[in-house]
Amino acid sequence: MEFNNLKINKVSLMKIIVLNCGSSSIKYQLFDMARKEVLAKGLVDKVGLPGSYIKHEKCGDDSVKLEGEIIDHQAGIEYVLGLLTSKLRGNLKSFDEIDAVGHRVVHGGEKFQDSVLINTEVVDKVKECIDLAPLHNPPNLKGIYAIQEILPNVPQVAVFDTAFHQTMPRHAYMYAIPYSLYAKYGLRRYGFHGTSHRYVAQRAAEILKKDLCDLKIVTCHLGNGASMTAVNCGKSVDTSMGLTPVEGLIMGTRTGDLDLGVLTHIMQKEEIDLQTANTLINKHSGILGITGISSDMREIEAARDKNDERAILGLQMYNYRIRKYVGAYAAVMGGIDVLVFTGGVGENSPSTRQEVCKDFEFLGLLFDESKNKGLRAKEAIISQDSSGVTVMVVPTNEELMIAADTERIVSALKK
Amino acid sequence: MGESLADYSLKKKIKESGQGQLKLVGVIGGGTMGREIIQIVSQRGINVVFIDLTKERVESILKDIDTALSEIINKWGLTQSEKRAIMSRIKGTTEYNDIRDCDLVIESISIRQRGSSVDARQDVFKKIEAVVSPATVIASNNSSLMISDLASALKHPERAVGLSFITPPTTVKIVEVVRGLETNDKTYDFAIRFVKMLDKKPITLYESPGNISTRLIITLINEACELLMEGVASVQCIDETMKIGYGLQFGPFELADRVGLDKVLKVMNNLYLEFGSDKFKSSPIIKRLVRANFLGKKVLRGFYKYENDKIISQAISATEFK
Repeated sequence: MEFNNLKINKVSLMKIIVLNCGSSSIKYQLFDMARKEVLAKGLVDKVGLPGSYIKHEKCGDDSVKLEGEIIDHQAGIEYVLGLLTSKLRGNLKSFDEIDAVGHRVVHGGEKFQDSVLINTEVVDKVKECIDLAPLHNPPNLKGIYAIQEILPNVPQVAVFDTAFHQTMPRHAYMYAIPYSLYAKYGLRRYGFHGTSHRYVAQRAAEILKKDLCDLKIVTCHLGNGASMTAVNCGKSVDTSMGLTPVEGLIMGTRTGDLDLGVLTHIMQKEEIDLQTANTLINKHSGILGITGISSDMREIEAARDKNDERAILGLQMYNYRIRKYVGAYAAVMGGIDVLVFTGGVGENSPSTRQEVCKDFEFLGLLFDESKNKGLRAKEAIISQDSSGVTVMVVPTNEELMIAADTERIVSALKK
Repeated sequence: MGESLADYSLKKKIKESGQGQLKLVGVIGGGTMGREIIQIVSQRGINVVFIDLTKERVESILKDIDTALSEIINKWGLTQSEKRAIMSRIKGTTEYNDIRDCDLVIESISIRQRGSSVDARQDVFKKIEAVVSPATVIASNNSSLMISDLASALKHPERAVGLSFITPPTTVKIVEVVRGLETNDKTYDFAIRFVKMLDKKPITLYESPGNISTRLIITLINEACELLMEGVASVQCIDETMKIGYGLQFGPFELADRVGLDKVLKVMNNLYLEFGSDKFKSSPIIKRLVRANFLGKKVLRGFYKYENDKIISQAISATEFK
């Protein structure tokens, strides 16, 4: 596959497609970087499966759901491009208007510290990381191949979930397992949600009108998957997820930190194999496993309000784990200037934010309950003006970050 | 407004494609094998409609699948919502007309009578062909008969293929994809794609009685019976040797019990008829056990006795056959 003869837009007012290809889905957004707005977005779902469809929305118009056979990612992306250039649903007159495509790539291993322009060498390196993310990197690559096939002259950029955390020091990312296993298989902590942590840290500094380099930030990405990052001087110095997204915080259905002895004990007692053990820690555990109610925090909070004991316990455990990481990261960085909440739960659950932030006066954190109360999915400061730690809610926007990286890298090419 | 996905196709030829889609799979027969095939197909997100003889049987098959899925949940392999989705994709019926929209139909009937099942399976093939579209692929899960024998009953024999699952289909990661004399490339490629969709490895082969798996395992079971008759070792010792020594999932006797001794006998007779070789001639032990209704795990006694899905003891000893 050749990645030569790229057509580079000479003016930096770009239209950029952002693609997030999962194993059977493709999320996409079309950005107009000049106006800093999303022109269209959508989801291709059940790719290669029965019942496949595309849900497309031209911003400002109604969304449309189109069902039909979508045999693979290439077919799905062809339909997306067909929609984006159609008279009825599209925003583009022709493919010539597409200046670049940015891809979310889950695992860049130790090879990528930043987003990169995609070429043959990059593709080879992403392939080498398949062992580390067997479910995610292959569909990410399919998206890259499909664009290369259909739009061979359009520059493509890979934005890695792991890249932001590549600044972690060795003592933070190594596991205490035989060193030879690290050397042989690259087994270490990589962390995930990097694009989100990077975006909210930068955005927090912008809102506060401070230099990112002067801040010690702890970012909490609390969604169905959840992770926290210690961001010192704009760089990730530690993060809660590890080789896989199971480590760290308690999540909707994942255990988070767990004594490995527990797992081997369960495997022996319940006579289950590796694959089932994987399902156990990824799908049956976390908030769902503890409460037996749901993995959805809204349902758990509703049950707590009815005094459901296990819902109360689940929430206590969930918040406690986050608090432990706040303490750990304060120790790691020698203090905290900013604590940021993002992700579905972080943005929409005032009670989670309040429970996490209580009794942190010793850190200099003075929480403002009135600012926090009822606040959902809006940028805001929720600590008192005199607080030593500024607590913020910053809705994440990974797609915008991918588009911005793509613009930065492609614009640099013409210089 | 009539807007469709095809309106946005970059390649107009995608519009005509249509062939080789896999939206609905039919399964004829909900015995042990059929039931597990229905389950794994639905577990992979494909809609299934199955046919059995009576409404009562259909109900009981659905209940059995429900129970099997609950057991997986108890062992942490599945979530409740995944189970609901799997059950919602399965439909049971007694009417052939209900499989008319299937893209693939798998014959997996079990026949209790002794003797060859060719006629009964040919009859099923004809009934399938009478209702489905010309593009539908028709497969048989039988492993000891020749797919060409069954295909000869069809107007379009090129659409017939063997899809031989191995017991238990829910866990065994291979399926033998058998090419008959007239099976065409389109049918064969479709069958391979289907097996891959089940997350199993397709083993490609030309038709031969017993395929690879049955031909090899039948000779192993027969030879194990010889050892038993000669009084060399007990049922348990012979099984343990193969299980622990060679890492087989089941020893030959436990496997025979799981398959069902009546079925093992039938397969042996088929292979003996086809090859004429004594190595396939059924051991007298098997015949004797079948006559006494020691049919294996399904009736809780065969080479072993069973309770609560587990072996409790040997049902027979070597000295009985000396």
